[in-house]
Amino acid sequence: MIRFDIPDDETLLLRDTAERFVADHYGLAQRNVMLEQPPEQVPPHWGEMAELGWLAAAVPEAAGGLGLSAAQLVPMLEVLGRGLVLEPVGPVAMKCAATLARALPDAGAELEPILSGERIALVAEGAPGAPVSAVKTGGALVLSGVAPLVMAGPWAQVFWVVAELDGAPVLMRIPAEAADVTPVRLVDGQVAARVCFDGVRCAQEDVVTGCAEALAYGRDMALVGVLAEMSGLVDALHGATLDYVKLREQFGRAIGRFQVVQHRMSEMFIRREEVHSMARLAAEAMEGDDAAFRGKLVSAARVKIAKDARVVMRDAVQLHGGIGVTDELAVGHMLKRLLVLSQVEGGRASHLKRFRALIGL
Amino acid sequence: MTDLLNSPEDMAFRKEIRDFVAAELDPDTRAKVVRGAPLVRDDFMMWHRSLYQKGWAAPGWPKEHGGPGWSARQRLIADEELFRLHTPPLPGFGFKMIGPILMRFGSTAQQQRFLPRILSGEDWWCQGFSETGAGSDLAALRTRAERTKGGWLISGSKTWTTYAQYANWIFCLVRTDPDVKKQEGISMMLVDMSAPGLTRRGIRLMDGTEEVNEIFLDQVFVPDDMVVGEINMGWTYAKALLEHERLGIGGIGRSKHLLERAREMARAAGCEAEPEIADALAEFEIDIMAIEATTLRLMAAAEAGVRIGAETSLLKIRGTETQQGLTELMLDIAGPSALPARDSGATEEPFENVAFQFMNWRKLSIYGGSNEIQRSILASQVLGL
Repeated sequence: MIRFDIPDDETLLLRDTAERFVADHYGLAQRNVMLEQPPEQVPPHWGEMAELGWLAAAVPEAAGGLGLSAAQLVPMLEVLGRGLVLEPVGPVAMKCAATLARALPDAGAELEPILSGERIALVAEGAPGAPVSAVKTGGALVLSGVAPLVMAGPWAQVFWVVAELDGAPVLMRIPAEAADVTPVRLVDGQVAARVCFDGVRCAQEDVVTGCAEALAYGRDMALVGVLAEMSGLVDALHGATLDYVKLREQFGRAIGRFQVVQHRMSEMFIRREEVHSMARLAAEAMEGDDAAFRGKLVSAARVKIAKDARVVMRDAVQLHGGIGVTDELAVGHMLKRLLVLSQVEGGRASHLKRFRALIGL
Repeated sequence: MTDLLNSPEDMAFRKEIRDFVAAELDPDTRAKVVRGAPLVRDDFMMWHRSLYQKGWAAPGWPKEHGGPGWSARQRLIADEELFRLHTPPLPGFGFKMIGPILMRFGSTAQQQRFLPRILSGEDWWCQGFSETGAGSDLAALRTRAERTKGGWLISGSKTWTTYAQYANWIFCLVRTDPDVKKQEGISMMLVDMSAPGLTRRGIRLMDGTEEVNEIFLDQVFVPDDMVVGEINMGWTYAKALLEHERLGIGGIGRSKHLLERAREMARAAGCEAEPEIADALAEFEIDIMAIEATTLRLMAAAEAGVRIGAETSLLKIRGTETQQGLTELMLDIAGPSALPARDSGATEEPFENVAFQFMNWRKLSIYGGSNEIQRSILASQVLGL
């Protein structure tokens, strides 16, 4: 049920902790140093994030997690998004752990080292229309195909590969050393990998069948994480631009005194509010058993937020003027992060298509 | 259509409304609303009487004044269902404007005299705010009231007065002190439409209807007990209106009604599956969802004690953009079928009012503070620019 309750104490505590973390570790200069690290190196604060409980937050208590709702995580993820953190909280906690908690009958043992930060496990998937395929050979399965862009891929010890077996999706547990992992630096400096599986053998006990529902849930949950980060970034761009138009003077007065600028800021404010609402709506939709309702709301939120984010990116740069296109302000870094988040977990077009199908159009 | 409010209690409440409408709504009235045809006094009054007898005429009023005692959530659901079920949307000048003003600022005598008659429909109120020289700059109004024995004499004119031809009372903003800052010399007065010196002229609109009027006041006498609150406080009272029922101004019910209508038209025209049309229908559904989600979020915050102010202007902006956008999509769907005039004998269901609605609903982004004014309000009051 959609409620939009105001944040409870647990939610605020998570958010406040994240704010302190970002303030301590993620100044722009500190972050620039981290971006210079070789792509194979895990960013330095992973262990601390695990200790803070961020990786376990969304996992049910029965599987060893904290059992918080997606809605309770949104404000924390907004802070991590606007903070431009480089550790893969989204891919590990919101995607991989959420998927495994649903897909594995007894997920606790597998999740324990993941939630404690000891092991990085990621979901790896083929491109749309080009799934990784599995074939039965004797007692084992053989895996072939490419996952073209796995976020944080070089840091994984384990891949949970979504493969197609006899026309149905299965999850297969593959140690990273069995795959061919090529680091890929993304436009915003984040690290991903192209992961190739060339005849990788996988024992029967490492294959999970009947997991279509868990995969769909995990994809939606991952998207909720992405949308929450985008919401934080949109809010930060709005705030930075508002501050700037109040300070920047031309023609003898702050440019925010000009009506044309005021109306563009109003438009950006409206979009920020819509993004804020839709990120929460998507998170609330994760509760309950109605997968079609959940899918509709999550995809709707993706479509809306992607569109709004583009306008906010554009206007944030435009209203900053020349300084907005430099690498010196956080604005450019936020724009690049938003670009990345807009393209992963299914972009605007694919979710509009899914939404259309779900409403019978 | 995706309804966000769908808990078991919500669904039970929806059913209660559906059952009531199924039993009470006149089929001819319903058909007019479905087609988007212009409505006249009887269409509104018949439906008003049904709602009144049920105790649902004024959803936003507190129980002691005859409201149904609904929660904000229930009011949103009721609004949505009543639109969806093609009931006539009742004009809000009594329920949403002068009623709440009198509850807050009126004398006990004014409340006792007028509130029950608003509820029952015995009185039809219209609003005398805008003037030819005072639209967006409402405080520039020049209609003046001068002191006379036992009351005031009003002279001047008002315009864009919706449904004044049906009204027996008008609440007016008038200038009572020309020598102070323009906002500080305005008072609110209640004027009997049959008072000597008051005349009305209908304004024919481009869609052929006469929804609005000009009102001329020539030395119209208003007794002291028909002044609302204190003299020279009218601007404050009018502004307080902006805070009443603001969560409803997104017009979610109206938007969903229009979207359902557009989808029916697309089906009738055989273009529902064309990518341009299907994408547009889907995106409007998402846009409406965003307005609804924002409304619910602000409502939850208000219930938790957070003060919600001018940010609700965004609901008006997005709501009206969506509704006007839907009238344009209907034109795209209808093609030349939108063209025959209403009385041409050549109209084609369901497209007969498509052009009419495009024209008629231009007003949405103009009245109640134009969307440009709403943006300036956001900039100054919310963003501090």
